[in-house]
Amino acid sequence: MSDPSPPSWDPDLEPRLTLGQKLDRTARHLLPSAFIVLVIIFFSAPLAIPGSAELLSAIVIGSVFFWSVWRPTGMPALAPFLLGLFMDLVGFTPLGVSSFILLLVYGISTYARFGLMRMNFLVVWFLYGLIGGAASFLQWALACLFRLHGLDPAPAFFEALLCIGVYPLLSATFSWFLHILDEKESA
Amino acid sequence: MIPVSIQVRQALGKLVLPVLLLLSVGIIIAGQADRRLADTARMYVADALAPLWGLIAHTQTDVSHLVQGVKDARHLAEENAKLQTENAKLRRWYDVAVSLARENDNLKTELHWVPEPTPAFVTGRVVADSGGMYARAVLLVAGTTSGVHVGNVALATNGLAGRVTEVGPHAARVLLITDIASRLPIELESSHATAIMAGDNSPMPRLMYYPQDSRPIEGERVVTSDQAGAFPMGLPIGTVHYLHPGQPVVQPFVQLDKLTMLRVFDFGQSEIEPPDAPGHVPLTRPHRPLALPFKTLLGQGQEG
Repeated sequence: MSDPSPPSWDPDLEPRLTLGQKLDRTARHLLPSAFIVLVIIFFSAPLAIPGSAELLSAIVIGSVFFWSVWRPTGMPALAPFLLGLFMDLVGFTPLGVSSFILLLVYGISTYARFGLMRMNFLVVWFLYGLIGGAASFLQWALACLFRLHGLDPAPAFFEALLCIGVYPLLSATFSWFLHILDEKESA
Repeated sequence: MIPVSIQVRQALGKLVLPVLLLLSVGIIIAGQADRRLADTARMYVADALAPLWGLIAHTQTDVSHLVQGVKDARHLAEENAKLQTENAKLRRWYDVAVSLARENDNLKTELHWVPEPTPAFVTGRVVADSGGMYARAVLLVAGTTSGVHVGNVALATNGLAGRVTEVGPHAARVLLITDIASRLPIELESSHATAIMAGDNSPMPRLMYYPQDSRPIEGERVVTSDQAGAFPMGLPIGTVHYLHPGQPVVQPFVQLDKLTMLRVFDFGQSEIEPPDAPGHVPLTRPHRPLALPFKTLLGQGQEG
């Protein structure tokens, strides 16, 4: 008796991967998200670092931006959504607000991806500054909206500045990391 | 994988982002409509992450102890001499305190003083600063299993820190007095005037609704008032300070940005019931004045 189900077929023309390669690839794809999850957990602990709340948002926005521009395979659209939701669950912000902001950052950066990749670092930094500033402002505006109360805009300014300030550091770290990963792949 | 053509797959890929954006807007609306669901989800996540945060907090205190130890070691001799003189001074004060305590006891027995019940408390480590940018709250490793309830009062070493707003089995969230949702009835100690202390997310909460004929004095001690039934009388909060003329704020005794341990007290306020007075028509129902204002305060505290 023959098997009635049609034979399964894979549209990809790549050779089949071994288990080790598959694990390796999954680990690579999950790496940015795992990094951000750890950052969120670490920064929500009571640290002696002043302004850790603002720094957390700045780092998360910067990481989402970097990975969605340079390696979108490491940052599928589901990742900013889930990361934002996790951030909201850990923090005190209304559920879904961070998801919304991170998805917007992700959307803009994937849309402008091919333009951004050709540009000089300083130009990318400047453009990122605009995006980070807009994200901080949006966060502040939403917080005001949900409280029906005009909040002090100082933290939003501080966060925007941190966003801009922390980006070169993040970019250098992630670029170095990408370099190592690529070297390993080509070897 | 489901066999679909490349075009369909690309179209689906383009749809993912808008769908997720809509979903997040949906979650925002759902979270606003059903706060309790959002809070339960939060407490589940917090409960799961509490041990991890505990580990981070432990490591941090260990490291800071180590650094402090190394710093202290440099001034040991100096410190020793200072401590010896201070010790001699304190010994005198100890004698004074003992004699005063004895006298106080004597006077109380003379007066047939009814002792106040000692409140039950649990101590927990602060493991997470769950407030973020637009709120001031901390997470405590002590939950319903250790007897913490919503509405309990959290005290740090030298004063009031906040109130428990959400409880899970192993963790509790404490809304600090500096949060914008925090409104406490307080009493100015020297004039016995009552006022409201309103947090505004800054380190110093504002004073509101104080009587115009007895304004708060710079440096005056601020303690809790039992007006709404949420707090017992006389828990120390802080001192009055004028940032600008006509704008009194409270400088809390507790360093709210560096909390490590909190004691959560159950003062059992709701158990105090006035005795029955035959012939006396009650103006309000017996439980109302205790329960109602407290619930509304909590309701504000749960705002996102």
